[in-house]
Amino acid sequence: MTVALAPLVLAVAACISFGVRKRLAIVGPFALVAILTAAALVVLLPSDASGSLLDLELRLSALGRLASLVTLGTLFLLVLDVWIDEPAYNFFPTALAVGATALGVLVVTAPLAIFGLLMLGLLVPVGSFAFQVHRNRSVDAATRHFAFVSLGGSLGIGSLALAASLPHDQPANTFVLLAVVLVVAFALLLAAIPFHTHAALLASEVPTAALALYFGVLVPTTFIAFVEILTLSGLLPAIVQVVKVQDLLHGIGLVSAVGGAFLASGAPDLRRLVVYSVISNLGAALVGIATLSGPGIIGALASVIVTGASASGQLLAAGTLERRAAPERPTASRAPLAALAFVVCGFAMIGAPPLLGFPGRFFMELIAYQFAPFTGTALVAATLLLIVGQLRAVIALFGAGVARWTIESRPVAGLIGVAIFSALLVGGILPNGFLVPIAAFAEEFLRALRPL
Amino acid sequence: MIALGIIALVTLAANGSRQLRYSAVALLGVSLAANVVTAGQLSVTQLAVEGCGALVACGVLYVAARDRTYGEDPGWRLWIATIVAAAATAACFATLRTASSDTVNVPLLGEDPSGVTAQVAAFWLISSGIAILVTARSPVRGSLGALLMVTGVQLLIRLLNVPQLGLTLLLAWIEVVVALTGGFLIVNERAVRES
Repeated sequence: MTVALAPLVLAVAACISFGVRKRLAIVGPFALVAILTAAALVVLLPSDASGSLLDLELRLSALGRLASLVTLGTLFLLVLDVWIDEPAYNFFPTALAVGATALGVLVVTAPLAIFGLLMLGLLVPVGSFAFQVHRNRSVDAATRHFAFVSLGGSLGIGSLALAASLPHDQPANTFVLLAVVLVVAFALLLAAIPFHTHAALLASEVPTAALALYFGVLVPTTFIAFVEILTLSGLLPAIVQVVKVQDLLHGIGLVSAVGGAFLASGAPDLRRLVVYSVISNLGAALVGIATLSGPGIIGALASVIVTGASASGQLLAAGTLERRAAPERPTASRAPLAALAFVVCGFAMIGAPPLLGFPGRFFMELIAYQFAPFTGTALVAATLLLIVGQLRAVIALFGAGVARWTIESRPVAGLIGVAIFSALLVGGILPNGFLVPIAAFAEEFLRALRPL
Repeated sequence: MIALGIIALVTLAANGSRQLRYSAVALLGVSLAANVVTAGQLSVTQLAVEGCGALVACGVLYVAARDRTYGEDPGWRLWIATIVAAAATAACFATLRTASSDTVNVPLLGEDPSGVTAQVAAFWLISSGIAILVTARSPVRGSLGALLMVTGVQLLIRLLNVPQLGLTLLLAWIEVVVALTGGFLIVNERAVRES
């Protein structure tokens, strides 16, 4: 029961904050205290703590603890930004509910329950996607997101339920079909190319804080859930035996990595640059998983967690830059600290050393070369395209020069970006605390791959 | 077998309706018939939880419609959805059937211990949901498709030999959240359309 305390605290806080959501002076600090309480509960739990709730087995693994703390840290920064700089009363209960489901996903051990909680978490942000509906297409974007999540979620849960009820003498083709449906379901949820159309519309129409909630918290959680479900569902040995599923994962990953980077390199605005960069990094991470190797899994998970944090920093900075420069194009002269935050979080997004994004990307590209030279080359090309995209953004922001380096009033997004950069820098210099829990999970994954 | 026929007919009614309120009532019918199909495999508590989830979900859609006339005309989408769902159900049953008995005995009335009826109903609901969702133009039919899929998934999970209470509660919550999200989108879409 104690394992479930942190998500339960957040769930109760989400219900309370929904009741007082229009009193910003109360709901903002309340949400921050709830997140800090949940973080304290996660820290205080002993390692590998376990328990059960409503017939469901729970366990807080080392990876679960790491991802929970990163998720809560990101949520804390998002809530702080919205409370101080961009008041939106729907955001607070949404963020707390997303936190509750994300932490739930990280402690539950039943694949079906993990998928169910993930679907709940992905549906909740629809409430904060739609805003000023008469002036934009945010309802269309939210509707498309709803359709993708409903489709992907139901297909995924259905395929897992069928896989769990298959008799042992079932033909291999049935397993292959179910594994393919599961991979496609996750591709829908992760907005992997070619299932990225809802992400593109979201990028241009919804508030940046809600976008950061989705791409900074939910998308990394979805990826971790995917790897956990593969490990716990017992499908991995069948996937190893039938190479087709591995090829599909590899293909979707490669298309997303290169396609996302290509779109990012020509992105017309800052938001889309960030969203396509996330899609590209997720694609590269899928390739890492498709190698079914220790370094590939460690690199994929490390890269995805860092991508979530840096995407949150970049999206918050992009939102501030847009608001300060509206109706003109964003420039650094209006919000220099936010522009700086955008650039430094961009370093993390491309995996530049010595930041924490580097080890993950290095592992993935190294193992991709060993897997197939073409794959390795494609991932390096994707990285180069991402660098081009980020450099274009730097030129667009700083090209006109900054006449006076006067820090903007209420530089919340800028300070948050600097905080994220500092954390990633410290993590990059001392990576053990970050990589060891991921390596422990990779060992579990490999054991599930080849059971004795 | 009769419950399966009722599920098919009520799904068609929900799919073919031009008014959201009628679709919501038909969805409740689908859910009740689905509970009848698997009544023997669930405890009273689980049936109550699932029934409450379905009732709340349909109630949310009913209220979101705001008046009797609001909805989406399916037009040709009704026939496409029906044909695709029928073909997909047959294909799924041929390739993914996990019912253990080789000789399928489906009683006209009463329990179906082999689970074949429940599995066919689940495939039909999921296929119909996908076809409706993919061809939907607005959140009205989008919500309908999503709720049909969730009901189908509930049926599949009931066939599993695992502890059910947590999963039952979770799926009931998913049903309610899908309906709430769909209702929220329907209200917003209507506000945009009427402005």
